[in-house]
Amino acid sequence: MNGATLSSREDILARIHDCVLDGDPTGATEGTRAGLEADIEAMALVYESMVPALREVGRRFEAGEYFLPEMLMSANAMQACMDLVRPLLADSARKPIGTFVMGTVAGDIHDIGKNLCNAMLESTGFKVIDLGVNVPADAFVEAITAHEPDAVGMSAFLTTTMREIGRNIGAIEDAGLRDRVKILVGGALLDQAYADEVGADGYAPDANSAARLTKEVLGIDD
Amino acid sequence: MSMTPRERVLATIDHREPDRVPIVLGVSNATGIKMRTYREIKQLVGIVAEDRYLYDWPELGTADPDEATLQRLGTDVRGVWDLEPDWVLERNRAREPHSDYINSWGSGAKEITPGEWFPMVEPLKAATSIAEIEDYPWPDMHDPTRVAHVGERAARLALENQYAIMATPWLLFPLERAFAMQGMDTFLMNMAMYPDFAEALLWRIEELCKELMLHFLEELGDNVDIIKIGDDLGTQESLLMSPAMYRQMLKPVHADYIQFIKQHTRAQVMFHTDGDVFPLIDDFIEMGVDILNPIQTSAGKMSNLTELKQRFGDDIIFCGGMDTARVLPQGTPEEVRQETRRIIEALGQDGGLMIGAVHTVMNDVPAENVLAMVDAVEEFGHYPLEL
Repeated sequence: MNGATLSSREDILARIHDCVLDGDPTGATEGTRAGLEADIEAMALVYESMVPALREVGRRFEAGEYFLPEMLMSANAMQACMDLVRPLLADSARKPIGTFVMGTVAGDIHDIGKNLCNAMLESTGFKVIDLGVNVPADAFVEAITAHEPDAVGMSAFLTTTMREIGRNIGAIEDAGLRDRVKILVGGALLDQAYADEVGADGYAPDANSAARLTKEVLGIDD
Repeated sequence: MSMTPRERVLATIDHREPDRVPIVLGVSNATGIKMRTYREIKQLVGIVAEDRYLYDWPELGTADPDEATLQRLGTDVRGVWDLEPDWVLERNRAREPHSDYINSWGSGAKEITPGEWFPMVEPLKAATSIAEIEDYPWPDMHDPTRVAHVGERAARLALENQYAIMATPWLLFPLERAFAMQGMDTFLMNMAMYPDFAEALLWRIEELCKELMLHFLEELGDNVDIIKIGDDLGTQESLLMSPAMYRQMLKPVHADYIQFIKQHTRAQVMFHTDGDVFPLIDDFIEMGVDILNPIQTSAGKMSNLTELKQRFGDDIIFCGGMDTARVLPQGTPEEVRQETRRIIEALGQDGGLMIGAVHTVMNDVPAENVLAMVDAVEEFGHYPLEL
């Protein structure tokens, strides 16, 4: 048992939840600190307050109630909290549900959608290794060898950079790694037909569905 | 009845049927053609002409097409634009190759892969206070070298009286400028987290936009038909921000800017805004937008051309419509021909349509497809339309 009384534990979790939902990083990190001081487990802070909040953010985005500013604010508040609890999660018994390598393809620097996907994936329980933007094919190959991820995500925003996705998948095949990872793709102009054409395992139109899709293609139950 | 290109455009923006649907191509960045595709067009049709860059700005990568190519493309407008001050152009010409391109605002671009530049130099990235806006060394909009060439070029085009004159001062889009100064994600977040700051930044930028716009309009005098401004407000599926946030924070800035322009010119205002902006079109009409560009038909409700025409066609002119997401870069010339026909039939009845690409024609668009588009306008775009 931890030292917090039931009501204050509930209050703290509710406060973090509401602050993440409202995109208030100050309130959210204060709540997280209060939770840690009250000996609430890091896992509980993440999975009983932040994750449900981000799930609600995703729902509101899909419903057209939240737009990019609100979603970015919530992801920002969540990240501020995660910075506090991430070191403690490493010690916890709960393992990540999978490892995800993410990157924006070569020649492309668009990263807003990619970063939102990272936040959603992390909140779903994945360990996310973000290779950043303008990532060449060999960096994806190296990351697969080094981190042995379950899935790789590639983002491209432009018609001129979309083709890099096909090249990257070719490079992963050439390296003999294709059957070791699921490959998921996204970006403004992509669609399922394009994902099929380049031989990806899935396409997601937004961050919320990216997290859902990843679990689906990896056969992870809710 | 045959019209001059200018008469064709003026009839269209007067909601009358011209002789054929006007073409807007190659005359600003958003309606322009990237250099590699421009070179391929010249090669394909056998035109020999010098490569020139729009705004004298190679890093932007958009061609300033020669007259013969513009004529082959059947484009009915000719462009006039400002320039960055001489000292900025000279500094950038003299800088180390591949080093960052910095403009007069202090923002700029980095070269990500050879020849591909992205706006990534964001001098107000960390700012969240009004003091930081006040302390920033904003550009001098009174530098005469920005507009020294404008009057002469516009007067020559007006004297020829062949083509409609579309003027596009560069870097005068308030939200786009705020993104350039802060980064898109940062500024969008600041709009929600620090609305007073975000609004102050938008109004400060708009003040500068108006300063330069006034010099620009004074140089143009009456020799201008269309002033193009804008700000990208849509995404592939929705809006960048909620309609409520747009109406609260940005619409007053846009409305004030458009009112200012209309006080100083009789030209029509073309408003460029990418993505699915369907929910805001009534707002644009209310602000005084005359022409909406680019009608991104691949994005959300903008694909519903029948509803667009029925609901807004009497109040606003459509400019653009030709899909740059799939049809132009990946389609066959026949698919381009059919898509051109579809756009003309859906949006062109009773005038009200100027056709063009939804975005800059990028370097992955085959020259054949650009020609297929303009040839299809010649084939299907003559009035009365055969529907």
